Amino acid sequence: MTTVGLFALLFICMLLGMPIALALGLSSITTILLFSNDSLASIALKLFESLSEHYTLLAIPFFILSSAFLSTGGVAKRIIRFALSVVGHIRGGIAMASVMACMIFAAVSGSSPATVAAIGTIVITGMVRAGYPESFAAGVITNAGTLGILIPPSIVMLVYAAATEVSAARMFMAGFIPGLMMGLILMVAIYIAARIKKIPSQPWAGFREVFIAGGSAFGGLMLIIIVLGSIYGGVASPTEAAAVSAVYAFAIAVFGYRDMGPLKNVPWRLESESVGTAILRNTGQIIKALPKCVTDKDVNKVLLDASKVSIMLLFIIANAMLFAHVLTSERIPHHLAELIVSWGLSPWMFLVVVNLLLLAAGNFMEPSAILLIMAPILFPIAMKLGIDPIHLGIIMVVNMEIGMLTPPVGLNLFVTAGITGHSIGWVIRAAAPWLILLLFFLIIITYVPQVSLFLPEFLDKLHGY
Amino acid sequence: QKPIVIKFSHVVAENTPKGQMANKFRDLVAERLKGKVEVEVYPNSQLFGDNKVLEAMLLGDVQMAAPSLSKFSRYTKKLQLYDLPFLFENIDAVDRFQHGPAGQKLLQSVSKKGLIGLGYLHNGMKQLTASKPLRVPEDARGLKFRIMSSDVLAAQFKALGAIPLKKPFSEVFTLLQTKAIDGQENTWSNIYSKKFYEVQPYITESNHGVLDYMVVTSQEFWNGLPADIRAEVKSALDEAIAFGNQVAKEKAKSDKQKIIDSKRCTLIELTPAERAQWVEVMRPVWKKFERQIGKDLIDAAYASNQAK
Amino acid sequence: MFLRILNRTEEAIICLLLVLTTLLVFADVVMRFGFNSGFMWTQELTLHMSAWFVLFGASYGIKVGSHIGMDAFVKLFPPLGRRILTAIGCLLGLLYCGLVLYGSWIYLAKVKKIGIELEDLPIPAWIAHGMLIVGFTFLSIRILLLLRDVIIGRADGFRHADEAKESMEIVEELSKEEGLK
Ligand code: NA
Ligand code: NA
Repeated sequence: MTTVGLFALLFICMLLGMPIALALGLSSITTILLFSNDSLASIALKLFESLSEHYTLLAIPFFILSSAFLSTGGVAKRIIRFALSVVGHIRGGIAMASVMACMIFAAVSGSSPATVAAIGTIVITGMVRAGYPESFAAGVITNAGTLGILIPPSIVMLVYAAATEVSAARMFMAGFIPGLMMGLILMVAIYIAARIKKIPSQPWAGFREVFIAGGSAFGGLMLIIIVLGSIYGGVASPTEAAAVSAVYAFAIAVFGYRDMGPLKNVPWRLESESVGTAILRNTGQIIKALPKCVTDKDVNKVLLDASKVSIMLLFIIANAMLFAHVLTSERIPHHLAELIVSWGLSPWMFLVVVNLLLLAAGNFMEPSAILLIMAPILFPIAMKLGIDPIHLGIIMVVNMEIGMLTPPVGLNLFVTAGITGHSIGWVIRAAAPWLILLLFFLIIITYVPQVSLFLPEFLDKLHGY
Repeated sequence: QKPIVIKFSHVVAENTPKGQMANKFRDLVAERLKGKVEVEVYPNSQLFGDNKVLEAMLLGDVQMAAPSLSKFSRYTKKLQLYDLPFLFENIDAVDRFQHGPAGQKLLQSVSKKGLIGLGYLHNGMKQLTASKPLRVPEDARGLKFRIMSSDVLAAQFKALGAIPLKKPFSEVFTLLQTKAIDGQENTWSNIYSKKFYEVQPYITESNHGVLDYMVVTSQEFWNGLPADIRAEVKSALDEAIAFGNQVAKEKAKSDKQKIIDSKRCTLIELTPAERAQWVEVMRPVWKKFERQIGKDLIDAAYASNQAK
Repeated sequence: MFLRILNRTEEAIICLLLVLTTLLVFADVVMRFGFNSGFMWTQELTLHMSAWFVLFGASYGIKVGSHIGMDAFVKLFPPLGRRILTAIGCLLGLLYCGLVLYGSWIYLAKVKKIGIELEDLPIPAWIAHGMLIVGFTFLSIRILLLLRDVIIGRADGFRHADEAKESMEIVEELSKEEGLK
């Protein structure tokens, strides 16, 4: 009864178009008022606890901030040039380079739509110019963009880690091989499709171009080293690494590449300037520019944009935790778990149920919200069935990737529609053939746990545990 | 008539001494007060974390919890007593003190804030783990140790010339694994269950402090219970606590053995002379907190080391 | 003029909270890794600032329409129907705010009466948690303003921007630079 009431209310609120955060919050509070003895005061307390006691979740605003600086700082352009110089000469190479660019960008950013936006804008037009069908280009990028949440760092993984108390660092490691694998599957499919469709390739530009492009993208690529290096190199925890990456992204965008901010278009070295004077001048300018960032229009815009997205996400998360709290105090996961256990499902069958459930939810909801609602229900059952928590996490993440590509709520679809100016329907058709690959990939991930578990377990062994 | 519901909220797994104690309490109450009182146990911070559970209790939404004694610093300074280094020789001395008049009186120290302590539950004696061998206090100099939020524990590591750092429990494993933090202090059962022994090559068996919990309830709830039921509940709780303490003692032993058997870290046993050095360096911490805790309490606790 | 200063102040506070939170965690890393030391109070302050950031910024999200929602169903209706459904949504939103405010009031009063402080910072807990009242009051006001706009026909939805739309701004910027499209 309580369960039905809770979900019915949530659904009605969402249909009315209420912000998801408010819909989650209202349905939780109303359920408590009607069905339980808990006080409104403890709900307020729980809401504040959800906002102030989850250190891991802090990584979300930090990664969003760092992605915001990178996206506006022209780092994406440099990464594409680098990717193109490496695989551009293979047939279908521009499309493969675009996938590679998505993978590299995914390794510095934690969000899928941001990956599509940053890379897609430039490469879709580029592919069309090079003679690719536009729907081919759009379909590839819409799919490859989902790697943003599979290749670490990943906001969705952080949410899972927070919801289940699984180690975020281990989740990150577990996403690495599946991410590379998905990228490779896409590239192979592109190569085959390009052969069939006789799509042209670019001439090999030589190792010189690889090095120059690599050098120019170095500032952005460094971020991968900073994030992963500081986590595994013993400098910082994932949350702290996120903060470091935000500070670094700010520095590289404003002082390094100077595509934005107070030093915009100020060259590192003027013509006929000696290295010494250039160093002196730059040092002076950076010191003078630092306080100017406080009032700088570009910097402020990035900050405000990142704030808007972070607040939106964290507010949903806080309310989703409230929702989960109601579920728990009404013992709903408990009963549901008992029910499912009583079905006597094998782990194999249970995972089918999990996938169907998540795919259905992925049609309507945003990944973080889905995870926060579903993880507390599914996690204890999976533990009883002996499924590895990290493996379950990766399954959930891949499901969330697919959810980004399915209507009516599919963030990547919206972004691609925006980039290309086509209708959502057109984008859905363009992305569909590649979506089938992703479903195939989901089956592999679900039934071959080693894909996810190999790296974290190997690293543990390497350290002798 | 609907039974009185006691929501027991804790933050650890069900197979820990605390989890087992809570479940035992639930079962005993179900057996003896069937239809009158019902205990619902919420493990793993499902309901509230340790920082907020006491507030929820005062609001009447949780009836029982068992936070670690360090968590009460916002409610009373007296319980800092249990954090003092080298105050108790072993867990039996802790038992003697807790069952004596001073220890029982200390349960009432949170009453001004509307809470009542119902009993103490052991986790065990704390050991030091680190990325390098710690034999004498000098070895710890300059190392970074993770601590719970506690002024006493911070002072204890500062006395060693080490750096105390406060980090959320959820991040400790990663920070230790990557050597961002050099060491930590914990009981055998926590070192084993949280797998710290996999990422810390050395454990010094220092027994330098105690990690205990206090089972609390709110005065409003407790005093509102009918006297006969209250007495029944209390006796069930006492029995459950005794059971939990027994589990804790056995677990400390068996987990220590499992850690040794794993061969993943080296156990360092201190000679009496080495241990004396640690005591000498750390004991000045007592003086700093004498005013807040009360000298009589410290003396009473220290006296419990002499078996009667 | 006055309104503009107010708007700027709101945006500045939001940005400042985000920047300070980031810098505090960054400083923690620098202190630990670079200077082999650390502060006991940074973690609690960081966590509370991030809570203030979200509570204070939630109402701003209503103003700029950045809270994600599902508007597919509402879009099926003609404008008048949309306005009616959105108005109901607003009223439900106000109910939510009212309930949280009521609960917060009781909670804060209790905490103030017991007189506890935060764990590491010498700040009374009721003040640190008081952002609940501030945030949800502002949120109510913003939803009321939206309701007014819906009634007089100036708005017909929660004006959902979403992560997708956010990302689209990047797209516009990049295309401008590239001279694409
Ligand atoms: Na990523
Ligand atoms: Na979807």
